[in-house]
Amino acid sequence: MRRSKLLDRPTAELIGFSWLVDAVAPLSAYGERSFSEVTPFLAGDESAARSRARRIVELAAALDPGRLEALRALLRDVPDVAAALAGAAIGDVLSDPAFLELRRFCATLARVDSLVADSGQFEPLCNAAVRGVGDALATGQRDDATSFYLADAFDDGLAVARQRRADAHAEFQALRGREEQRIAAALDREDLGDEFIVMRGELRGDLPAGVHVIREAPTYFLCRAQYDEATVTALQRRDAADRSAAQAEEEVRARLSVVVRERAVEVSAAGAALGELDVLVAAAVYARRHGCTAPDISAEPTLEFEQARFLPLEEQLALAGREFTALDVRLDGAAVLTGPNMGGKSVCLQTCGFVALCCAYGLPVPATRARAGLFDQIAWLGLGRDERIGGLLSSFAREVLALKEVFERAAPRLLLLGDEFARTTTPHEGRALLIALLERLRSRSACAMLATHLGGVAAASGARHFAVRGLRSIPQPSGDERIEQVLATLGASMDYRVAEVGEAESATGDAIALADLLGLDRDFIAAAYRAVAQ
Amino acid sequence: MRVGDELLALAKAGGDGTIFVVGIGRDAGKTTTVRAIYFAAVRKKLRVALASVGRDRGTLGDGAAKPRLWLSPGTCFVSAVGVLPQSPACRVFRVSSLQTPSGNILFAGVETPGPYEVTGPPTAAGMRDVIAELRERSDLVIVDGAVDRVAALAGTRGAVIVAAGAADSATVAETALDTGALVARLRVPGFDAEAPGITVENALTETLVGRFIAERESRQIVVNDPTQIALRGRAAAEAFARLRIRCRRPLRVVAATVASAAAERQFEPVDFGTAVANATQLPTFDVYRGARAA
Repeated sequence: MRRSKLLDRPTAELIGFSWLVDAVAPLSAYGERSFSEVTPFLAGDESAARSRARRIVELAAALDPGRLEALRALLRDVPDVAAALAGAAIGDVLSDPAFLELRRFCATLARVDSLVADSGQFEPLCNAAVRGVGDALATGQRDDATSFYLADAFDDGLAVARQRRADAHAEFQALRGREEQRIAAALDREDLGDEFIVMRGELRGDLPAGVHVIREAPTYFLCRAQYDEATVTALQRRDAADRSAAQAEEEVRARLSVVVRERAVEVSAAGAALGELDVLVAAAVYARRHGCTAPDISAEPTLEFEQARFLPLEEQLALAGREFTALDVRLDGAAVLTGPNMGGKSVCLQTCGFVALCCAYGLPVPATRARAGLFDQIAWLGLGRDERIGGLLSSFAREVLALKEVFERAAPRLLLLGDEFARTTTPHEGRALLIALLERLRSRSACAMLATHLGGVAAASGARHFAVRGLRSIPQPSGDERIEQVLATLGASMDYRVAEVGEAESATGDAIALADLLGLDRDFIAAAYRAVAQ
Repeated sequence: MRVGDELLALAKAGGDGTIFVVGIGRDAGKTTTVRAIYFAAVRKKLRVALASVGRDRGTLGDGAAKPRLWLSPGTCFVSAVGVLPQSPACRVFRVSSLQTPSGNILFAGVETPGPYEVTGPPTAAGMRDVIAELRERSDLVIVDGAVDRVAALAGTRGAVIVAAGAADSATVAETALDTGALVARLRVPGFDAEAPGITVENALTETLVGRFIAERESRQIVVNDPTQIALRGRAAAEAFARLRIRCRRPLRVVAATVASAAAERQFEPVDFGTAVANATQLPTFDVYRGARAA
């Protein structure tokens, strides 16, 4: 799944692109190839994006979890026969391992077809070529695609050549065996190896006839059994029979390779279709697992959702035994987002980005309802984008350069997510910059959500104003300063929901209360409250 | 009783159906030992599977092909896509994702008797997976091992047979010392859970051992399994003499074999067998003489 020009790397990381890629990644090599070609839908593709998301939701509904898992197991194990098909196409004689993989591939496609047959979701993968290759390779096989052997049934000549080989081996073994038994008996041993040692002290008389001494040492002989003339002749016959059998085997492989070559294009097409199925099944598993719905893809650059979740964070919270507070947002232009520290402003921006991302790739959205346009660019500005300290540029300068890039690209449909842009300059000038940015965004009909602690920005720019509801009450420090406990206390007191508000309803700051909750000493906190009061 | 039969009987007593033949170096007679055990098992009508942990000779730069084993129908063996013989054709059971310089590892079955090259994955983890699969396909798994790959033995309940050859060192005494040290390393006793000990999670190296000896450490030095002990020769002998090295999962070393004839030199077979038997305190067999050495 390619980012293309939709979003740059820092934005991708902040709004969960990598997480999403992992969540909807297919399992087979075919799926991976298909997945690597997935690019975001662009303006004008709304219908296609909408259809894809709906198809995934329908697929998730049509296939029960057991069947989805069975499909996944098949996809995880399907062999990649692309190299074998390419080899056959240029006239290579394929090897037995390649035939096994082709056999398993054909059998897997048939199993996938039977699993999804009554769902009405897919055309059959098995075409005539797949069946032809599968049938050809099943000749004389004793099991269900779990092995491959170049069986005698492939060719009468092969069976004959193998019988001759077996006869020649038996003749040679009998002669050699007799000779070795004679020598072993003479040496009072039960058997001989290819090479064997005879101790001089244990030898009664001379070495028996037919023993060839490789090396002579003061106390022993290193020996090998020597073949007599009849055995050597039998060996020559055996070698000739081996060569004939090898030739017969290779001729069968060549014929089977032609069967594959003649069908390679259609078998490859079935593989490509399998890849697309894998990609859709992976997305369906994702949709089912996270309770996703198909979004309405709008022709307008808009973003609205109800009960949406930022899944990467929801997953982390679940591990900590906590729940994500689902969010509602209606964004049809540039807007301001305010709220207390740790109130979830950044998460609201990330949720906006994640929903837009899902829509861009025609994926179901983790929300009860969503409607969004297809953006040419999703850009993140401000906090989290570039947290380096030091270097030639200040953090403010880096923010400005990132904004300059956004302006210069001038994407016709822009979704800008700003997290405390210009927070590192004076509040007076930071506010002015934000107002100017909102005016620019509105003039470009961009969709944007700019989170800030600065007051009066929405009113001054005429932008809509959203706010995190914030603390229901000021929580009292419990004395337990463990961060998990503090977060739990905070989570219980904070209303993370976002609502559109007038400027007068803007949340008051909760920073000193939070500092108190996080364990700063009481004198310091008291001094801060005194300073606020003055 | 044939050497192969005796080795098989020792290995199977109380084992889990896996035999590792570990050589102390090149040309230690591992393949000859494997062959003797294999034929003994085939005579007993056991379903045998074979794999090799050894490094490909080709990668050692001597250009020699890995010795082939004459295998009987019904035998399962590990091969690689690039070295599976075209003839006689084998039954191919599975091509795995494990890779070697010769291509992907595969599991094959012998349909026609003939010489086959047995190979295996390059990693210890890969070898453990391969053994697990071979055990499902057979009654007995024989692994042709290598001293620098003993990590593959980690966690096994199989029997270990140590092969010593004349090619390993210049003298009988030196070879016997190295073999004894390897056996001592592999036979580290199990730890005493009631007694105090220091657990070593990673490799027990010469440096670490030097520190323990300098500190006159008297507690148990506990490793998870003997393959963690990265000591050889005299360093190993001194460590075992002066420290109480113990392990959580002991290995079962059941026998030694000797190969007194090598291309470089020959040892006197009886002297060599006796020296190795004394150094290892194991039943020791001369696979070339076809007799118990000591």
